[in-house]
Amino acid sequence: MSRYITRLRMRRAYKWNGRPVSKDRKLKRQYYESMSISVEGKTEDVTVSLGQYILIEGDDDDNPFVAQLLKLYTDDSGKKKTAVVQWFVRMCEVPQNKRKLLGRDPHPQEIFFYQDRSCDNEVDGETILGAVQIEYVPVEDPFPKGKSKGILFVKLLWDTKSFRALNPELMQPPQSSKSPPPSSHGTQTRALPTPDLSVMKRAMSGILTRGSMSTGKMSSSEAESLHSASKLSAAKALSAKRRSRAVSGPHVRKKLDLCSPSKNMTRDDVLGEILDEHTEKTLTSKLNTSPTGRISISIRLTRLNLNEEECVSPLSSHSPDKPRLTAYDKDDATSVFLGVQPIGDDDPEPLISTGRTPRKREATPRSAGLRGLKARTPSRRKDALREPALAALAEEEHEYSPVQTAATPCSKRKSAQLESSRIRKQLNLLGNTVDLQSDGEDGDDDDCFVPAKIDLQSSSDEEEEAKIDSEDELIVKKRRGSGTSRSTEKTRVSARTPRKTPSKKTAPATPRTPRHATPSIPSRSAPAKKPGNVLEEARVSCQKLQETTVLLVDELDLLWTRKQNVMYNLFDWPTRRNARLVVLTIANTMDLPERIMINRVASRLGLTRMSFQPYTFKQLQQIITSRLNRVKAFEEDALQLVSRKVAALSGDARRCLDICRRATEICEHSGSQKNSSGLVGMSHVMEALDEMFSSSYIAAIRCASVQEQLFLRAVIAEFRRLGLEEATFQQVFVQHQALCRVEGLQPVNVSEGLTVCQRLGSCRLLLLEGSRLDLFLRIRLNVSQDDVLFALKAD
Amino acid sequence: VCTGQVWMCVLMLCDCVCVQAQKLLRERLCHQKLPDQPVGLDSQYKHMLELLRRTAVHGESNSVLIVGPRGSGKTMLLGCVLRELMSLREVQKNVLLVELNGLLQTDDKIALKEITRQLHLENVVGDKVFGSFAENLAFLLEALKKGDKSSSRPVLFVLDEFDLFAHHKNQTLLYNLLDVSQSAQTPVAVVGLTCRLDVLELLEKRVKSRFSHRQIHLFSSLSFSQYVDVVRAQLSLPPDFPDPKFSDEWNHSKLCDDKTVEEILRRNFNGSKDFRSLHSLLFLAVSRVSVSHSTLREADLIEACRLISADSKANVLHGLSILELCLIIAMKHLNDTYDGEPFNFQMAFEHLLQLELVRPVDSGVCKVQREYQLMRLMLEHGQVMEALQKYPQCPTDVKQWALSAFG
Repeated sequence: MSRYITRLRMRRAYKWNGRPVSKDRKLKRQYYESMSISVEGKTEDVTVSLGQYILIEGDDDDNPFVAQLLKLYTDDSGKKKTAVVQWFVRMCEVPQNKRKLLGRDPHPQEIFFYQDRSCDNEVDGETILGAVQIEYVPVEDPFPKGKSKGILFVKLLWDTKSFRALNPELMQPPQSSKSPPPSSHGTQTRALPTPDLSVMKRAMSGILTRGSMSTGKMSSSEAESLHSASKLSAAKALSAKRRSRAVSGPHVRKKLDLCSPSKNMTRDDVLGEILDEHTEKTLTSKLNTSPTGRISISIRLTRLNLNEEECVSPLSSHSPDKPRLTAYDKDDATSVFLGVQPIGDDDPEPLISTGRTPRKREATPRSAGLRGLKARTPSRRKDALREPALAALAEEEHEYSPVQTAATPCSKRKSAQLESSRIRKQLNLLGNTVDLQSDGEDGDDDDCFVPAKIDLQSSSDEEEEAKIDSEDELIVKKRRGSGTSRSTEKTRVSARTPRKTPSKKTAPATPRTPRHATPSIPSRSAPAKKPGNVLEEARVSCQKLQETTVLLVDELDLLWTRKQNVMYNLFDWPTRRNARLVVLTIANTMDLPERIMINRVASRLGLTRMSFQPYTFKQLQQIITSRLNRVKAFEEDALQLVSRKVAALSGDARRCLDICRRATEICEHSGSQKNSSGLVGMSHVMEALDEMFSSSYIAAIRCASVQEQLFLRAVIAEFRRLGLEEATFQQVFVQHQALCRVEGLQPVNVSEGLTVCQRLGSCRLLLLEGSRLDLFLRIRLNVSQDDVLFALKAD
Repeated sequence: VCTGQVWMCVLMLCDCVCVQAQKLLRERLCHQKLPDQPVGLDSQYKHMLELLRRTAVHGESNSVLIVGPRGSGKTMLLGCVLRELMSLREVQKNVLLVELNGLLQTDDKIALKEITRQLHLENVVGDKVFGSFAENLAFLLEALKKGDKSSSRPVLFVLDEFDLFAHHKNQTLLYNLLDVSQSAQTPVAVVGLTCRLDVLELLEKRVKSRFSHRQIHLFSSLSFSQYVDVVRAQLSLPPDFPDPKFSDEWNHSKLCDDKTVEEILRRNFNGSKDFRSLHSLLFLAVSRVSVSHSTLREADLIEACRLISADSKANVLHGLSILELCLIIAMKHLNDTYDGEPFNFQMAFEHLLQLELVRPVDSGVCKVQREYQLMRLMLEHGQVMEALQKYPQCPTDVKQWALSAFG
């Protein structure tokens, strides 16, 4: 549960001051100049007006988010108050690894002008806490002293990559109060990078055919182009790809939407229309002539809520990069995660587990844009790599974390542990969320997918008539232990919609039966119902809340039922109108749709399919090093051996880490006897590998008793005689007795022979039929004959 | 009179001592008392103890399989490890132990109920009627996953007959247990005991990947001299035995040095190295100790060995009438002539059928007339011969017939 539930909240009432200054008929919005906030228990109201600096409610009560108010408007119902803001960041919101870029200690009251186009700048009006005073200090000047604590200073600009000197003009209240929307737009676009050349060209050559245009659509496309343009050039290829998808995406999808009441159009028509819109939009965005131009940037930062449980995690206590939040909803702008995981038996009645959040785990909050940059820019790679490692240490090692300054939860366990056990802990899988950077491109793709979907979603939010559903499913195929769940989790995290008053439920669990694959809907305590009904209800409530839902289904293959109703429903939901649902499924069968899905299910499946290859040895090596986090515990060669061996066999990261853990144990034990370097060396790793991979059959045969060995010999002799791989007990027994005589042992009788046979069978060295067949039970070898002979010969 | 009374007293005392010794030994042999130290399993013992201690004390989750043939001491090893582990005070208070057996918990639903019971969570479940498996599992997982490394009590799961759990539907229980053990939730150690060497192949991929692939193999590499030492240790009386004179006498008997005894032990050792068969042998021998002969003699062992190694079917043959025996012999000859081809009889031999010495071939396809139903002889050549040799008052010509090469 989010800790916001338990927080004491002051009740505030929000009121518009005066009449609307302007009106946008298309968007059915009324713009206001100021708003008054009356707080319960206080007599005087606070009034915030355009251009003023405001505090916005965030996770941290002591450090609310700071922003400049640019616009205030309400929708036609008059209920929802929305504010458009220019963000400022505090130092604590800058990612920790970037803080050193400042080159000096920040002033405690210092904030930075935030320039990131990918950040959503619309917030729920009701999250505004009040006004604040901000002073611009030129770069060269020292911070003024002796001012009151309430004043914040801004000196520099933070563009998610570096600190730069701030042009004071940016800070000016952007418009005269007469025409707020257009001029605010002007301010916004000033910071825009120049649009892509090709896009411009097309835009210029395009013929403006339609007089009317949808501003909503415009804004979404603009947002995308902005987003992609802000990428570094090194990532150009990727971003271009992504933009092309995103630019065309919403419209194409809208047009092709199955449920949208679209006209019958030929393909060419559709394409033409899309193209037209596209050109119009790029043109308008460039010329900036839209009278009602309202920017809605749709890529946004992620902000995660830390659960109560998570509060103990040291990661949360010093989560470095706290990006700002934007709430764009009245109530909760949250995305609800409905998790289902199909592990369980078949129970007749379905279960709706209510409010159960089995695996609440949130990762380092990080903006999608930032992540993209990090992952894609080669020069940033190093940072990206170090950071998760740090995080890993922080999470795994409550006691040892060197970076940790915040109070750690007091541990009941002995804190005095050996270095090696600490290393082992780090190697423990799923210690908590650690970025699997080694996922490389896969992870990026996944990253892109979900935000893209939500982008699309949010653009459709704004464009209320269009009613776009964001529908898409991504079947993430995986090999075991190749990090699918982990990276999806990451994605889930990064794709989370920001919010102000969060009541987020993340319930990514495995449903116990296919029929139980009913998403656990927050705060539901209803008796069992049919899954369809539950979803219907959830959908209605989500619609009310304007929530985007990401449905994560793990182990999809277990949801298979004979009629495939569950899967059908699952993939049918997002195709409905207003579903606002992204279905993300994970399975480890590569060709799941082709193999088990019937047509009507397969056709509802989205096209995005991502396959996770087994880890290569380099990736495995990277995983281990990142887990070890600079602690020199393994010899270089030893690491390589492990990763190569595992990569060659399965590419299973879990296995790899297990071997490393075992190797450290072995090292610890042997180290006490003959102290070598103290590092885990080749010999230890070899031993661990042997333990894990060696077949136990041969050892078992060698340690078997004499009669058992003779019996195996007799089996092989009988097989040779018959030329078959199968013999009855009677036949083998004759051989056995003969062998006994040869060996000079007293021949065994049938009962004893059968006992020996059964004992071998229980070890599964032999495969036997039921023992009621007595003399005629058929015997097969479960090991190859060569193995048996080898084991017996070595004796 | 006086001497007579004294004599009686001495007799009673002797009786008493003898019975005491017998009782002690019998308890040792058949009550599965844990030995003070597992024999020949030192490294495995250390490994196991270290592993469980890490879970119990440091909260490190783990999963391990103990694999070994039947009677190789898997349960004994685990019992010893747990005994030592539980002697630590902090562990005793802290650790929760859940023991499941694949033969008892035949499906996940039962297993889950049992886990809930052993974790004393019924009260928590209490008024909720846990009808469905899913609810139960959800509850349990929530309980397990809520925890973190540092503050929750470690739970040790012991799964006896681990392979049988792999046959449960979808391997739900294993998946979830191993999943918890792989993640940093409540510290959990999953210990599986199995005799199947191929147990990992039974696991689904997703379950297998979550298993840590630690296997402890218990293959006894005991030599015969060690085996004899064990026998000696098993048969000797403890030093705190009430009658030191008796125990001294008992312990110094040169039983194991005897040639025939060694022969018997070697035969047993060749048959199987596990101690369970040894125990049953010694148990029979010890049971023969009585007041009249208060020490264990080689004759006792020989008799015990005879009982143990007697072929059960040959014994059954002894109870047959001559006529039935003739039938058997006829069948034996048929078997020899036609090399195990099935045969039929037009005669009634219900008794033989009942004794399962002869059994109809299950064809299942066609309904054959009763007289022509094909039958199989369920006896080995040697068994018949042996029985005939020992058959009381067997007519010589029957014996001759049996021995003759032609039917």
